[in-house]
Amino acid sequence: MRNRDFSFWLFLTPVILSLSLVILVPFVYGFIYSFTNWNGMVATEFLGFKNYITLFKDADFRASIWFTTKFAICSVILLNFLGLGLALLVTRNLKTNNLMRTVFFMPNLIGGLILGFIWQFIFISVFGNIGELLGIEALTGWLSTTATGFWGLVILTSWQMAGYIMIIYIAYLENIPKDLLEAAEIDGASSFQRFRNITFPLVAPAFTVSMFLTLSNSFQIYDQNLSLTNGGPFNSTQMVAMNIVKTAFTENKMAFAQSKAVIFFIIVAAVAITQVYYNKKKEVDM
Amino acid sequence: MQTVSWNCNKTNCWTGKLMHRFYATVFIEKEKGRSLMKSKKTLISLVSVFLLSIFALVGCSSDDDKKKDSASGDQITIDIFQFKVEIKDQFEALVKKYEDENPGVKINVKTVGGGNDYGATLKTSFSSGEEPDIFNVGGPSSVEEYREYLADVSDTKAVEQSIEGTLTAVTDGDEVLGLPFNQEGYGLIYNKAIFEKAGLSTDDIKTYADLEDAVKLLDSKKDELGIDAVFALPGKEKWVLGDHISNMFIAPEFNNDITEAYNAKTIEFEKGDELKRYLDLQNSHSVQPVLSLDYSQQVEQLFSLEKVAMIQQGNWVYNSVYDMDPELAENGMGILPVPVEGFEGKIPAGVPMFWAVNGKSDEKVVQASKDFLDWMYTSETGKTAVLEDFKFIPAYKGYDATKIADPLSQTIYEYAEAGNTLEGWVYQAAPTGWNEETLGVNIQKYLSGDLKWEDLISQSRAKWEEERK
Repeated sequence: MRNRDFSFWLFLTPVILSLSLVILVPFVYGFIYSFTNWNGMVATEFLGFKNYITLFKDADFRASIWFTTKFAICSVILLNFLGLGLALLVTRNLKTNNLMRTVFFMPNLIGGLILGFIWQFIFISVFGNIGELLGIEALTGWLSTTATGFWGLVILTSWQMAGYIMIIYIAYLENIPKDLLEAAEIDGASSFQRFRNITFPLVAPAFTVSMFLTLSNSFQIYDQNLSLTNGGPFNSTQMVAMNIVKTAFTENKMAFAQSKAVIFFIIVAAVAITQVYYNKKKEVDM
Repeated sequence: MQTVSWNCNKTNCWTGKLMHRFYATVFIEKEKGRSLMKSKKTLISLVSVFLLSIFALVGCSSDDDKKKDSASGDQITIDIFQFKVEIKDQFEALVKKYEDENPGVKINVKTVGGGNDYGATLKTSFSSGEEPDIFNVGGPSSVEEYREYLADVSDTKAVEQSIEGTLTAVTDGDEVLGLPFNQEGYGLIYNKAIFEKAGLSTDDIKTYADLEDAVKLLDSKKDELGIDAVFALPGKEKWVLGDHISNMFIAPEFNNDITEAYNAKTIEFEKGDELKRYLDLQNSHSVQPVLSLDYSQQVEQLFSLEKVAMIQQGNWVYNSVYDMDPELAENGMGILPVPVEGFEGKIPAGVPMFWAVNGKSDEKVVQASKDFLDWMYTSETGKTAVLEDFKFIPAYKGYDATKIADPLSQTIYEYAEAGNTLEGWVYQAAPTGWNEETLGVNIQKYLSGDLKWEDLISQSRAKWEEERK
């Protein structure tokens, strides 16, 4: 802490500056614009809370919030489950450890847009053909109903992000002192007991981080949504981010979209902060 | 507080480091709290460094005023910002030719594609002061939005030669505020070979009843013809449902006049039943499920591989079909008008975009911009490029129809010259976003069985009225 002198701030300046220029300033501007009738170029009128009042009457926006919430719950559970599962798998001292880590992490390196199109092909053509061949009705017509669109998105996101979450869990798993586990083994603890009583509590901080990442990510998803379903059918798989973009650029209601974004920000921030707060309480000290 | 996480510094694993960084980011708030306790000196130094950097930043960006620069001396610089990515290279080649012919003019071309992206980028460049001298506007709503920037181009030759009806969207009193890019038209694109094999002649398809009979005939011979279905209805594409299909049945109630639709307070759906009938016909004879069927499946997969007999699309599909099957594209497909009662034998054609000249640019630049656009559409070099390189359907008279690159465009230009097109894509004049986000979405709901037709009409009307209050 002693070295927070001039040079400390000097080195920090580029970051603070760019952060405030690209995040803070636009945020403040956007917040102000959300109270006006801004059309992207000029704001001629101050509307007060009118945008916010209209917003709560917007059925599409409410539907998209609900859809996003459902999506976030499902994908957070699935992602953490998969991430931890994969991490346990690749920390088992198998020969293929490094290869598997790479393979599992790989989807994360492909852009969301491309992934969306790839999975669109898989869901529609591959699933469809397999379904037809084997006579499984459930595999045909994917993405043409709300339910399949929803699960399509969950599958896509889980597949993409599980490797990333896996990396976080690996870091914690590898730091669990071996002596603790050995001692428990000698005491006659079964492998499930060891996992339940030693491994699990010790990776709790990883839950905090992964939950935060998956939660905020699931709420803000846009590109996967755009390329996989584009909100279809009939905008029923439209997430909040997409609803905001459409309001702004398709319907050209910039200020209204901005007010939606402010509400969205508040929701995401509230959820994320609550989650971090509760998870932090559960972590154990060694 | 020593939590487990910090232990990971000891091991030298990269994953640990990565994780550590996440941890630090997430809980940076805690660090900030500590830093606030530091002395006032830190705060002062922070502020001074901050200010210094801002000065430095402002210093680098506040020089060169572009507008002054563009008209200085004999050299005139025109900045063009256009949206049609498909013609980017060809357009730049044409610009090069113009620059060679006119040494005093320098033209910079910037292309940003795709409807939404272009609009957003254009808006950004205007609000940031980097205004282009020539740009594109769509329907009346974007004309209104950019009204103060639009120069009157009625004194150009191109305006004189434009095809009747193509300028309605950009006419304001005596002023003409834009020049049409090109024309585009749509209808039922059919596979000639399949029609022939089924014993159908397109001359026999004039009225809606004829179309119905033809569809039934094709449907009964599906196996024999080797097709999956008669149509491929791309229910995923809200623009096909909400813009194109609907437009044919909405335009008549506004007398095919974009301006009338733009000022309309309500929409009656006078031809709503015909729209329903036509949609049902396509839906019940289409490859299923329609709601996940998109444009590329419709055109590239199903039509190009000859799995369907007809699709409702426009001349723009030519290139996609050509990539899949050149033979089919050049000789194997034709376009038929959709029979709308009272308008049989007419193809809906329209101008998707207009060239606009920025009236706030320097006077000399405005004139040079107009000269360039005039040259592009009226000189011989320009005309050749428009037809052969851009592969446009011209929105101007006096072009040699036989030189039009593809058969669909050729047919549409012939319809246009003979006065058999319905000028007026009134969907450009509906409340912004209404076609796709309201009507298109409602049609999707109707197709999936979640919405009754009467509700579709009433809900869509209500939204129109709400937007036009």
